[in-house]
Amino acid sequence: MAATQFDPIYRGLSPEVGKMRVAGSGMAWKGIDTGEVIAVAGGDIKSAQWLRVARGFQLRLGLKDRKRQTFDGFKREDLKKVTELLKNHFQITLEEIDVSFKGWNWGVTDFRGQDLAFLVSGKMGFEVPLRNVANSNIAGRTEVSLEFSGPSSKSKHAGDEMTEIRFHVPGVMSKAKGSEDGSQ
Amino acid sequence: GKEGKEGKGWKKFQSYKGEGGLPGDVEKLRIHVDRKAQTVILPIHGFAVPFHINTIKNASKNDEGEFTYLRINFQTPGQLAGKKEDTPFEDPDATFIRSVVFRSPDGHRFDNLCKQITDLKKEANKREQQKKEMAD
Repeated sequence: MAATQFDPIYRGLSPEVGKMRVAGSGMAWKGIDTGEVIAVAGGDIKSAQWLRVARGFQLRLGLKDRKRQTFDGFKREDLKKVTELLKNHFQITLEEIDVSFKGWNWGVTDFRGQDLAFLVSGKMGFEVPLRNVANSNIAGRTEVSLEFSGPSSKSKHAGDEMTEIRFHVPGVMSKAKGSEDGSQ
Repeated sequence: GKEGKEGKGWKKFQSYKGEGGLPGDVEKLRIHVDRKAQTVILPIHGFAVPFHINTIKNASKNDEGEFTYLRINFQTPGQLAGKKEDTPFEDPDATFIRSVVFRSPDGHRFDNLCKQITDLKKEANKREQQKKEMAD
């Protein structure tokens, strides 16, 4: 079966561009600079999601053993093609995740497996992987801070790195009030 | 007790109606100030997360070793201890992002970003003041 190619596609948060090929046996990404190949066998894909991120649209693959691979750089128009490929080759339904662009700083935090999600109006604002949290603090009665450890690139071409985020969580100490559960 | 205070006087605002409104520059995974949309877009783990200037309180930066740190403080309930709270919130009981800190080895760019955010806030405050005067 002929492979379908998407390009340029990024893997994870790496700045390296690459090509992604999808065929009946699985999918593979190959980096242009390093030549590194990431192959995912069709049978290992358990779920697939589609969401808008900074670098275009992201295809997020949930794999066996709760592992995950993300590929950024897809275009809005690729949705139909990717949906069909995943369905026809791997019998996987591509799930679209709604992302908020309201620009609000209030919402609901939700622990989802290995991630902390921040939802605005029931839509995804962003997600941060908990494994990147180096330290957390309860600062004061209603404040929680998370500090991140990351690859600290000294390159001036690297992306900007968030090292800390603080949340104001009014419900921490007084649970008495019945606020609505944001179980979206 | 803040009974019955929720949402009172809050004026709706939003940065973008949909993903198509995001400027192309966000793909660089760097902080971007979109003056037209009155919005600062932060790169958070690969997401482009907009914050309308109305949610931002102030920005400051400081240099530490090889890095420059940019702190953005946001408007949240309960900050004005002892003062009469006059900033309305849509939902004061929600979880709020209170602050974020970013770092970069490019101090010059962060210096510039800090100025842009501060200027955007000043303009927004000025407009708000003018509106109030018109209403009086």
